[in-house]
Amino acid sequence: MRVGIEVGGTFTDLVAVDGTRVVVAKVPSTPHSPDIGAYAALGAGDIPAAAVTDLVHGSTVATNAILERKGARVAFVTTAGFRDILFLQRHDRRNIYDLRYRKPEPPVARRDCFEVAERIDASGTVILALDAAAVRRELLPALAAGGYDAVAICLLSAYVAPQHERALEALIAAALPALRIACSHRVASEFREFERASTTVLSAYVQPVIDRYLDRFEATLGEAGFRGHFSVMQSNGGRLPAIAMRQTAITALFSGPAAGVVGAIRQAGRSGRGDLITFDMGGTSTDVSLVMEGEPSLAPETEIDGLPIRTPVLDIVSVGAGGGSLVWIDDGGMLRVGPRSAGAVPGPACYGRGGTEPTVTDAHVVRGTIRPEAFLGGTMALDTARAHAAFETVAARLGADIPGAAAAAIRLAVANIVRAIQLVSTERGRDPRDYVLLPFGGAGPLLAAEIADELGVREILVPPNPGVVSALGLLSADFLRVAGVTRRTRLDADTPAMLRDAFATFQAEAAAEFRTLGLAGALDFTLTAEMRFVGQAFEISVALDPADLPRLTTADLADRFAAAHRRVYFHGGEPGRAIEIVGLRFGVLRRLDALPAFHERPIALAQPESVPVHLQGETVTARLLDAARLSAGTAAHGPALIEGYSSSIWVPPHWVARRDEAGNLLMQRIAA
Amino acid sequence: MTLEPVDYAIISQALIAAAREMGAKLVRSAYSTVLREARDGSAALLDAHGNTVAQAELIPMQLGTIGHIFQPCARLYPVETLEEGDFFAINDPYSGGQHLQDVFLFHPIFVDARVIGFAASVAHHLDLGGGSPGLNPLAADVYAEGLIIPPMKWNMRRDWHGGNFERLLRANVRVPHQTMGDFDAQMAANAIGAVRLQELAARYGVEKLTAVMAALQDYSEARMRAAIVQVPDGTYQGEDWVDDDGIGEDTLPVRATLTVSGDRIAIDFAGTAPQVASNLNAPFASTISAALSAVKAALTSPDIPFNAGAARPISITAPHGSLLNPRHPAPVRARMEACFRAWNATMKALSQAVPDRVVAPGFDTTTVGVLSHLDEDGWSVYLEIYGGGYGATAQSDGCDAVDGPLSNCSNTPVEALDQDFGFFRVLEYRLRPGSGGDGTHRGGLGFLRRFEILRDGVQLALYSDRFRTRPQGLFGGDPGGTGHCEIQRGNETIRLKSKDKVPLRKGDVVTLAVGGGAGYGDPAGRDPADRARDAAEGYVNVG
Repeated sequence: MRVGIEVGGTFTDLVAVDGTRVVVAKVPSTPHSPDIGAYAALGAGDIPAAAVTDLVHGSTVATNAILERKGARVAFVTTAGFRDILFLQRHDRRNIYDLRYRKPEPPVARRDCFEVAERIDASGTVILALDAAAVRRELLPALAAGGYDAVAICLLSAYVAPQHERALEALIAAALPALRIACSHRVASEFREFERASTTVLSAYVQPVIDRYLDRFEATLGEAGFRGHFSVMQSNGGRLPAIAMRQTAITALFSGPAAGVVGAIRQAGRSGRGDLITFDMGGTSTDVSLVMEGEPSLAPETEIDGLPIRTPVLDIVSVGAGGGSLVWIDDGGMLRVGPRSAGAVPGPACYGRGGTEPTVTDAHVVRGTIRPEAFLGGTMALDTARAHAAFETVAARLGADIPGAAAAAIRLAVANIVRAIQLVSTERGRDPRDYVLLPFGGAGPLLAAEIADELGVREILVPPNPGVVSALGLLSADFLRVAGVTRRTRLDADTPAMLRDAFATFQAEAAAEFRTLGLAGALDFTLTAEMRFVGQAFEISVALDPADLPRLTTADLADRFAAAHRRVYFHGGEPGRAIEIVGLRFGVLRRLDALPAFHERPIALAQPESVPVHLQGETVTARLLDAARLSAGTAAHGPALIEGYSSSIWVPPHWVARRDEAGNLLMQRIAA
Repeated sequence: MTLEPVDYAIISQALIAAAREMGAKLVRSAYSTVLREARDGSAALLDAHGNTVAQAELIPMQLGTIGHIFQPCARLYPVETLEEGDFFAINDPYSGGQHLQDVFLFHPIFVDARVIGFAASVAHHLDLGGGSPGLNPLAADVYAEGLIIPPMKWNMRRDWHGGNFERLLRANVRVPHQTMGDFDAQMAANAIGAVRLQELAARYGVEKLTAVMAALQDYSEARMRAAIVQVPDGTYQGEDWVDDDGIGEDTLPVRATLTVSGDRIAIDFAGTAPQVASNLNAPFASTISAALSAVKAALTSPDIPFNAGAARPISITAPHGSLLNPRHPAPVRARMEACFRAWNATMKALSQAVPDRVVAPGFDTTTVGVLSHLDEDGWSVYLEIYGGGYGATAQSDGCDAVDGPLSNCSNTPVEALDQDFGFFRVLEYRLRPGSGGDGTHRGGLGFLRRFEILRDGVQLALYSDRFRTRPQGLFGGDPGGTGHCEIQRGNETIRLKSKDKVPLRKGDVVTLAVGGGAGYGDPAGRDPADRARDAAEGYVNVG
């Protein structure tokens, strides 16, 4: 049996497949010890550990270690003169009018930052040799005395010439073998010293936490009889065997949202759809991503708690718009939704746990698109009267009735998500109308059609069990390693040969690594060039098919880059502008075999035939349907509300929904 | 027309998002370090009358007055006479501009052959001609500071990409590859703003869109007035000082008198020093930006869109012929120092009315350092903008090593400098412990950068402030530290003035140090735990 377990902030989700059998379970998370929730999920799914052949795990352990500052005790070592780079950062402020502005706080104290005399320039030439005697005399005793778990090394220009980092690593390892060492040229081999140092330090900070967690997880599973393969999800959308995660813990950050995108892609692929805009709407936020031809987009970096992480991650934009987002009116009289949220406590007013401010979920209850007796498969009753009461003040301020105020709140929540989708589409030169909208998460499918209407999108694909798509993504994630390197070079006649050489080197190293990890089978490779006009500071990613490399010409590269630049910036390719490659990004992929079909988990719930739904200015009668009983080919014309275990789907007038052969629900706009 | 609250909320957020996208793309497609790394540029959407509706929040200094700079253009070339492809360009400080390096471009946005608004962008250009690369500290008048662009109308088809205006600019700048690339980035930002506004017009109709553009200004005005009402009525005064004019030794006072009555504020700068012969004069548009920014930062929550409406309740005056409103053709390149003192003086005046809302004076100085070198391949110009330590507040220590409150420039990574410039190398970049003034909350720390000069024939040009006059603490806080610049040449140490220009030699080591912010409240009131932490981490000088 293949099992995916995703530990989220509130719930731990499990999806398991065995032949044609599909198990779906949702249990409360146990933040103090997330593995307990994970075992509970196995129990809830009635799955014995010994029956699990392939287990894929995603958790918020790494993320929480940083957010809660519960990582390792780390020392930072850098080139003499630059001890303060983690504190100087980039000299800018995120909020230009905040007089009490504080910089993001690195996870290393200033007193734990050390210098070594050495210098290499941008060409890789040694300007000042590393002084090994001084390292032994000054640095090593300080590291020995400091009680550190790990040391992060980031020397200037190590991205082009790592020999000083390697020499320093050897000196420290020889003297202090218990100390874990992270070197910047391995963690993030790209220029810009602050970003590289930040990534290296964060990596050193979370590595011991991840190691301890995986040790405990594996030991407990082993005692229970687990003998299968154990993999961990990464933020780049792929998985790696747990053993490999002992080197690259930093890629485990933000694996949950990445798993969701991967699950969405796999499920859409069964319906023959590859150009997707996915949106995962949960309790406090919505994650949006754009997928082309079944491939997710990668961003070269991300950040956590304001600190940069230079490692390729799935390009996901998050906005503070979820079911729990508060609806309020600001002191200028403008209606707002989010970013503040009612959270898990007190939660939306309709939960009856003391919340009095209206939320998006309350707006759904008021308008009728969440039926109070059908929430979470009927396991949690909601209080309609409290939802109405919560909207009284907002309605009075707007001069509207309560259903009018709720409808306005829904429209505004839709607008917030639409703007996030525009960030990943129109702002990057992609027209959302060319894509299928793929909603998931507990709150996504209720708003999908209204979001599609705003964007002009005509097709929506809702996967079965939309509330556990992340766990499905774990199961369907391929083995993946992504690596970036700085290779700054002007585009000229020699460039194609340079690309071929660099690619061949990566290909050989990656194949050897995957062999060592026991990952047999055919490997796929990807290659992306980070390019810009000479003089610019920000690169555009140009994807290259490795199969084209033997024939690739300089002119091809120039044309592809100019087209990408024009798409984003509305100009580019003027005569005489020289082009350069700044870096290369490689990926190696061991694809999984196909998964069996995935079905909606049934709910046994009494449903009336129809319910009233209050839209703007009118009340319509919506058919009420059970998602698990909607058989393939049957059409459900809007207005209709389709209820499921983990999420419900709203089909407005002018939309029609059909269950397709792959088990997905395809919604299409009917021409007016 | 009546506007549904929800339409208003949605469209106004879309306008703000469009302005933000303009700003992001301006920076990301730029070529010079001053625009692409330091992000010294801004972008905005204006209504058809040239009032600012929504701005990309990049540089506070440039955000206050984009609309004012538009008006001289519209007076010469009425909006109803504009055609597709037309655009305005202006940088003249004496026609509403700030300094010559900030060139403003305005593109009209047409729907059905009618102008529905303007896309505006401004960028600080690395070099715009004048007497010296990047910065001419010795300019005696505005003519010596660069190419003056009065309010002008050009057309994209005729005058750009090989046309008249582009060729004129290209012929007058020392680093055309970068400067013309930055102009293209401005053009692109405006084109994107135009497309987004046209999309909104197509989706919601011009009438509704126009109504929202007006309502969003009213909204900012209402929120600004709601904030001002909270301030006790009265007249308050504040003063701060510019070190000197770079020629003589006399300190230059900047004095603000702030009168609050109900929901309005009047700020008058009478008592400020007369204009000076050097480039420290601040054009009046810059003074307005500085004073508005201080009021907005102190009194309102950061999420209020800064547009023409936010400025309506505030009136600002400064005597003609003073440092803050000079007569033509006084040079103005280094306007930021006087602007920062106007900001400090306004903040000090506010401190008497709302002590919990203000910030103590920080280093609050724009330090511009330019290293340039001419070889057979042409000019190579490195310009960097340095902030310093922030002042403390009633609630918090000042932020360490960050750009000043009127600006928001990033640093250039040392590894990027290593790649781009062969005539110098950065040896050191570190915090300056002890440079923040003590207090119940302490001021933020300043920092220093040290450069080794690798070739003969390199020039250093510099302007800064607070080399002599320290930022004064509030309510018993200690003053912050000063800055300095010195050259180590063998055994000789050469101290520079805060406004200076010197030739350098191979082997020289240049240290540029900026100071910290002042403290807030009596040092005796400081939490012992904070004091112990400062000592352990080396943020203060021990013993």
